[in-house]
Amino acid sequence: MPKSMGAVKQAIPAEIGGETDIVMDNSGAAPQVAAGRKVLPIVEGVVLVAALAAPLVLQDYLTVFATRVIILALFALSFDLVWGYAGIMSFGQALFFGSAGYGVALLARDLDITNIFLVLPAGTVIGLTFSLLLGGFLLLGRHPSSVIFVSLGTLTGSYAADRLARGWYYLGGQNGIPSISSMTLGGYEFSEGPPFYYLVLGILIVVYLLCRFLVRSQFGLALAGLRENEQRIAFFGYKAQHLKAIIFAVGGAIAGLAGSLYAFHEGFVWPNMVGVVVSTQVVLYVLFGGSGTLIGAVIGAVIVEGVSFWLSDNYRDIWPIILGLLLLLVILFRPLGLISFVLGERERVGSFGAKAKGSIKEKRNAP
Amino acid sequence: MANAFVAAFEILSFGAIIVLIVLGLGIIASMMGIFNFAQGEFVLLGAYITYLAYAKGLPIWTGMVAAPFLVGALGFVLEALIIRRFYAAPIVAMLGTYALGLIIRESVRGLIGGFYLTVPEPIGGSIDIGTMHISAWRFTIIVITLLVMVGCYLLLSRTNFGLRMRATLENPSLARASGISTPLMYGATFAFGSALAGLAGALIVPVFSLYADLGIRFLIQGFVAVMVGGVGSFIGPVAGAGVIGTLSAALPWVMAPVVADVLVFVLAIAFIKFRPQGLIAGKGV
Repeated sequence: MPKSMGAVKQAIPAEIGGETDIVMDNSGAAPQVAAGRKVLPIVEGVVLVAALAAPLVLQDYLTVFATRVIILALFALSFDLVWGYAGIMSFGQALFFGSAGYGVALLARDLDITNIFLVLPAGTVIGLTFSLLLGGFLLLGRHPSSVIFVSLGTLTGSYAADRLARGWYYLGGQNGIPSISSMTLGGYEFSEGPPFYYLVLGILIVVYLLCRFLVRSQFGLALAGLRENEQRIAFFGYKAQHLKAIIFAVGGAIAGLAGSLYAFHEGFVWPNMVGVVVSTQVVLYVLFGGSGTLIGAVIGAVIVEGVSFWLSDNYRDIWPIILGLLLLLVILFRPLGLISFVLGERERVGSFGAKAKGSIKEKRNAP
Repeated sequence: MANAFVAAFEILSFGAIIVLIVLGLGIIASMMGIFNFAQGEFVLLGAYITYLAYAKGLPIWTGMVAAPFLVGALGFVLEALIIRRFYAAPIVAMLGTYALGLIIRESVRGLIGGFYLTVPEPIGGSIDIGTMHISAWRFTIIVITLLVMVGCYLLLSRTNFGLRMRATLENPSLARASGISTPLMYGATFAFGSALAGLAGALIVPVFSLYADLGIRFLIQGFVAVMVGGVGSFIGPVAGAGVIGTLSAALPWVMAPVVADVLVFVLAIAFIKFRPQGLIAGKGV
């Protein structure tokens, strides 16, 4: 693969620069940011500062809530990699999130393993394994699978897992597995509160940076190409299906990591966690925030969870209706999500390496 | 013998229900290329309208007759306002219809509260054959399903309307050039699919009782049935629905229900993987 990458290195930026119409359908509303001004790092910086300062200004019970949001943001990140970059509609992302949650819950319940250096890798590996199996089955094969098949296949997988978890006595059936003991590091127990928050935030930052590196590499460029025009990428000599399966597995691993953190933070796992409800929730986060920017997924998770928490006291019943309406509006009028209010189209597509940057600019600035 | 007969009847009646629900889903998916995530909520609305008629003291069958028309009208309006924008992008269509479904489902949940509301069967009692008793209403559902299936088939294959519909869906630009109003045909197709969902909801509500997640329960089974049957024709999804409905009802008789539940989905997905065109390939009726 590196060979073919070298060969097409020059060709792809020219394509991206030249054909703005393939970048994203019906995205006419993206603001035109002046060339060279970077908004993305500013947004990322603001979010980082806000996240670091949060426990200092929030009351304790809100810090607990913020921790959950950060975990869900990590989960949203995994979906953004798969959908926002590679264009694979995974309607079953919760399968990896929840199965990892169940996995670590069983480790804690049956084997008394709660060491952070064991459970988090275990959760990641569970997510990775399931996503390799499901992704390998759905995405690989002699004939490329259709988008519809992959999205409905993942949805069905998640639904089937939900039914299995509900009916399986060993997994606690409808009630799930309650009162999971705390995650430990040596003698220290991670209970809810600022330390757990900073642990989760640290993990999010590390994973975010890894993802950022990944999507800005040649690999990420090939993925973005897949999203925009799969056939063209295949004609360049990339093994499009393999790229998809790899990113699907990476997404699954991150979802698994998030799921194991979630299980220990909440202290219980229940069938919804692998099911369609959570699967669609993560889609909502990314759609709201803006797909294909990484930070958009984080912002989306924070906004959706934040508003829902804020409204749930007084408007618990109508909140889902409002959510549906907002979602519909976003899909119809802001397909790139809320972040597209501040972020230009060019930054979303991304720039890859020093040479590529130059060629995109030249192309764009040409009359 | 009696047991086997009762089992066969149960399987048949559940198969009929799935076919009824999949009919509308299949018509929309095959003819328009949209997997309508709001279809389950159209079923729910049909059920809700029937319940409303019952709660207001009207005869239940008035609700059952009204449901398909009202839901069909709603489908027509939604198509003109929203669905129309999604034709080019199947994934966006899924998300958009999901949002629509969410709005409808949560509104109904707000209206009925978190309860399970029962609606009595308009034709109660049982039919006795020798020593065996089968539910009269379930039998009626089977009969109505057969009638609706035949009716849809005749409508699509034998009438002028069906011809225009198929022409529009097969080759829109040629249909437009031939003087067919394609936007109207898309609207009519979607309304027709929604009306079938409304009818399905109205008929099954006495069997399953009314609750907000009634539609969701069948949605994924419906999708899987459409894929197994094959997108692109009328017969395909119906055949798929027959297979999925029969399997989901029959397998629990021979193995643990949990395993059966999951096995149906695994088998279906594996089948679609190796035969993407489905049971019945090709376009047409």
